[in-house]
Amino acid sequence: MPETNSGILEIKNVNKSFGGLLAVNHVNLSVKKGELHALIGPNGAGKTTLLNLINGILHVSGGNILFNGQEITNLSPHRISHIGIARTLQITSLFPGLTVHENVWTAAQSRKKFFNPFLPARRWRDVQEKTEAMLELTGLKEKASLICSELSYGDQRILEMGIALSTEPKLLLLDEPTAGLNSQESMALVKKMRTMLSGQTIILVEHDMGVVMELADTISVLHYGSIIAEGPPAKIKENEEVKKVYLGTEDA
Amino acid sequence: MISNISIALMNGIVWGLIMALIALGLNLIFGLLHVINMAHGALYMLGAVAAWYLIELTGSFWIALIIAPLFVGIVGIMIERGLIRTIEDKPIITIICTFGIMLVIQELVLMIFGGAPRRIDSPITQRFPIFELQYPAMRIMIAFISIILMSGLWIFLKKTKYGLWMRAVVQDREMAVGLGIPVTKVYMWTFAVGSALAAFSGVLAAPIVSVEFMMGREVLIMAFIIVIVGGMGNLAGSVVAAVLISLIQGVGSIFVSPSMAMVFSLAILIIVLLVRPQGLFGE
Repeated sequence: MPETNSGILEIKNVNKSFGGLLAVNHVNLSVKKGELHALIGPNGAGKTTLLNLINGILHVSGGNILFNGQEITNLSPHRISHIGIARTLQITSLFPGLTVHENVWTAAQSRKKFFNPFLPARRWRDVQEKTEAMLELTGLKEKASLICSELSYGDQRILEMGIALSTEPKLLLLDEPTAGLNSQESMALVKKMRTMLSGQTIILVEHDMGVVMELADTISVLHYGSIIAEGPPAKIKENEEVKKVYLGTEDA
Repeated sequence: MISNISIALMNGIVWGLIMALIALGLNLIFGLLHVINMAHGALYMLGAVAAWYLIELTGSFWIALIIAPLFVGIVGIMIERGLIRTIEDKPIITIICTFGIMLVIQELVLMIFGGAPRRIDSPITQRFPIFELQYPAMRIMIAFISIILMSGLWIFLKKTKYGLWMRAVVQDREMAVGLGIPVTKVYMWTFAVGSALAAFSGVLAAPIVSVEFMMGREVLIMAFIIVIVGGMGNLAGSVVAAVLISLIQGVGSIFVSPSMAMVFSLAILIIVLLVRPQGLFGE
């Protein structure tokens, strides 16, 4: 098990209990810069809880979380997002009544200072360029003037990722991006993700094994709040304990 | 009879457009800040009173049309920064608070301006031949200016950075905060723009009605009816509802007394609330 200190995110001996239930049990996790680190595990294994601890929605009961060597344990979600950890939620990560272009634009301007309130949005050169580049990358350029709620579910997911990426996060938390998609849509999304997310540091929580095996550099398997295995996809596939608790007989 | 009806139709459209401006301000503030602004009628009145003083001072209606809304916009900023900011997200308290602001503005105007109604002379006295009758050109001008202001607002919301921010905040405030939109500044500017719209409405109405400290009361009720009928948060709905209600009321008052015609508006309100509680154009 690689336990280096080179990780951009270091989770050290983190606990979270709800009443008597230990939802996250002495978890150690290190996410390296530029890797896609997948968290898998059966329902109730503590994956989403762990994400919530990282971005400050929940407070840890014990242990430390370090980001770029800086202590971020129990900071407010707002501070943490400012430090550069972005998250796409399962429910709302876009403005449904705005157009695709406006959504990306709003995210692209998030790191900018503003001066003139009456400035035409389209004349803000660098934000505009960033927006165009992201529309290109997401492949949503042709749909840029559509209202988001008119997009297909799969396109909405791609857009959400585009929005999250436009805020230039140092670490992106993806919570089940393929939830609610059929297998075709989810394969299309995976293809898109591979081009969009290359070079990004990502923690991915995902149920769909196919997606995880396709995308992950490293996989950590959670079971009853503990990490029972960690390693590259090929190794996780072979791991006997993982097969027993999670993969069952299913072969990716 | 025919000419009566065409005059009533014309008046209905002109008055409807004036009402649309004040309702847009009310709706904008409600949509963004979730504040039911009871002082909105008082801001309309303040615009008309400020215009009266400015015309006394400069002799120009057109200067008053620009300066009075700016002044009321600044008053709006002070109200938002000074009071609304501190009671954000408590709807009942904002109603009581803005009601208090309404009383304060009314009483201040009564103290300074007095209780007697005053007139603002129309800067354009020509008449315009339309439908075989002579219609005051000023009213057509008023309608025209209202349409320009509404188009301006539309362009502001659609095309500028702040407009986009406003619409983003309406959609999802939490996410807007997360994306670094300066939400409190957006609130302040929204309140300023909404107040200025009420003032524009007041200045434009001034040559038609008389200027007095209570003139905002009836208009406020009308504006609320318009916003509800058009759909809360739906700006285009407000414009359509304003013109529609005003037309029905205008034509109605040919056949019954003007105060009876008010019954029509209330009837529309009740029917809309029964059939489409979200408003004609609400989602």
